[in-house]
Amino acid sequence: MSTAPVKRTSIPNVAAESRAAFAAWVDAHPDGRHFGQVLIRPESSGGYRLCHAEDEGATGLQLYENPRAAREIAKLTGDGEYRPLKSAPNLRRGWALLAADAGDLVTAMNGLYPSAVVHWYLYREGSLDITNYRENAARQSGIYKRVQRLTDQGVQNAAKACCEDAVCLKKTLWDVDEEIPLEMNRGEGEIPCPEPCSVFVSFARRVRLFERENKRDLDAIGLSPSEKEDLSALVEAAATGEVVMAREAEFEKPLNERRMRYRRLTLIPKLRPPVANE
Amino acid sequence: MKALVIVGHGSHLNEDSSLPVYEHAERIRQTGEYDEVVECFWKEEPSMRHVLDMVESDDVYVVPAFISEGYFTQQVIPRELGLAGPITHKGDKTIRYAGPLGTYEGMADVILERTDDLMRGKETSGRTALVLLGHGTDLNKNSSGVIYWNAGRIRERGVYDLVEVGFLDQEPEIGEVVTSVEAENVILIPVFIAEGWHTRETIPEDLGLSGEVTEREDRTIFYGAPVGPHPSMAALISARAREMEEKFVHGAR
Repeated sequence: MSTAPVKRTSIPNVAAESRAAFAAWVDAHPDGRHFGQVLIRPESSGGYRLCHAEDEGATGLQLYENPRAAREIAKLTGDGEYRPLKSAPNLRRGWALLAADAGDLVTAMNGLYPSAVVHWYLYREGSLDITNYRENAARQSGIYKRVQRLTDQGVQNAAKACCEDAVCLKKTLWDVDEEIPLEMNRGEGEIPCPEPCSVFVSFARRVRLFERENKRDLDAIGLSPSEKEDLSALVEAAATGEVVMAREAEFEKPLNERRMRYRRLTLIPKLRPPVANE
Repeated sequence: MKALVIVGHGSHLNEDSSLPVYEHAERIRQTGEYDEVVECFWKEEPSMRHVLDMVESDDVYVVPAFISEGYFTQQVIPRELGLAGPITHKGDKTIRYAGPLGTYEGMADVILERTDDLMRGKETSGRTALVLLGHGTDLNKNSSGVIYWNAGRIRERGVYDLVEVGFLDQEPEIGEVVTSVEAENVILIPVFIAEGWHTRETIPEDLGLSGEVTEREDRTIFYGAPVGPHPSMAALISARAREMEEKFVHGAR
């Protein structure tokens, strides 16, 4: 094994530095700071109060005082669905968490948005290492090795489907490679995304399987087997009056939101070819 | 300062997959042995790629919450954490990477504790076989090796009339072992890290188990919880890290 290249060594203890910087950033705004879907407000006692941004001023919130409770808060949506991606815009409401000091604040933030504080800090300092898609794909192995063959257009569509603010509040900083920037709307949130995450890699694998299928298996009107599977599932579900979506990272199932977002980009143009302007 | 980093597999679909890692981390945190105890995962956040930036300590011990030596412990974890071997220096940090849990000498004790938990208050007569259930895969012989190794350790202690192994994805197939082992009582313990799809659904379904105790015509099958979530695994994780410390820190003096 060789040591992986370490590009950044200028900040000796980023964890400690980021804790102090984040607390100072919050302290500078007595009215509170928004971070992801969370509102963080410095308390006169020296601690911090966190709640869902939409619960600002709400009463009857369930109060937590252990910063590690944040992980439990972030685990399930309001509907009880598991949240595999903590930066998805589906943080549940109805809670408030009191953090005694900067250490507890960062522990709580790492429960709500794991590693977001340190990435926020490194990004502000201009020291955040960015890993582009091709670089990330190159080190994948096993069942994920095939993501290396995803086309540039496939990466573009997968990022639009998987990473825009409608499904992930991180600000996407990586590109396809050094030459080809992402075309997606990268988002304006506070949490930087320096590298394709495991949910994205898993989605990219699914999109690569769609791509492979496109080459060989199109029918007379140009639809692939999986496109027809998705259309059938949609018709059947809608006919019952209720479309029950697949789980957030269940990309093998037709009615997955990100999968449908990908279809909107790639299938809709096939079904509704753009009308040429006269 | 000294930190323990526990690496789990995690899941995009199963919310319970990472639970044992979080529970063991909290148990170890309570002992005060480490200044920091941090969790990271392959499929969940924080990812292995970013966890070291979240650690303030200079002395970092990494313990994989995996049963066997193999693809994850030898390839994925070192690659994602950027480790060069058992010891890696990164900036001011020294990172010591321990082996997986299943090959550690204390593992047999945890399996036996799990067995005791299951059999407490249950009366048996006749011969009793302990069957260790592993996932197994034809792709990596270490996956089954660790199950055989633990079975051997337990067999040496002579607590049970028979100690056998069975697998989901390789020979000997678990259903066959449970049916053919020559004992009136068959204690089945999954040597898995977490509760999940296999332990809750596929195994009971494939073996026709009706819960903790299943009566068949010629035998009673006792089905235990997986080993990984057992509270004693926390001590095993600590011991794994301590072993690295003794070997490379104190031993080096």
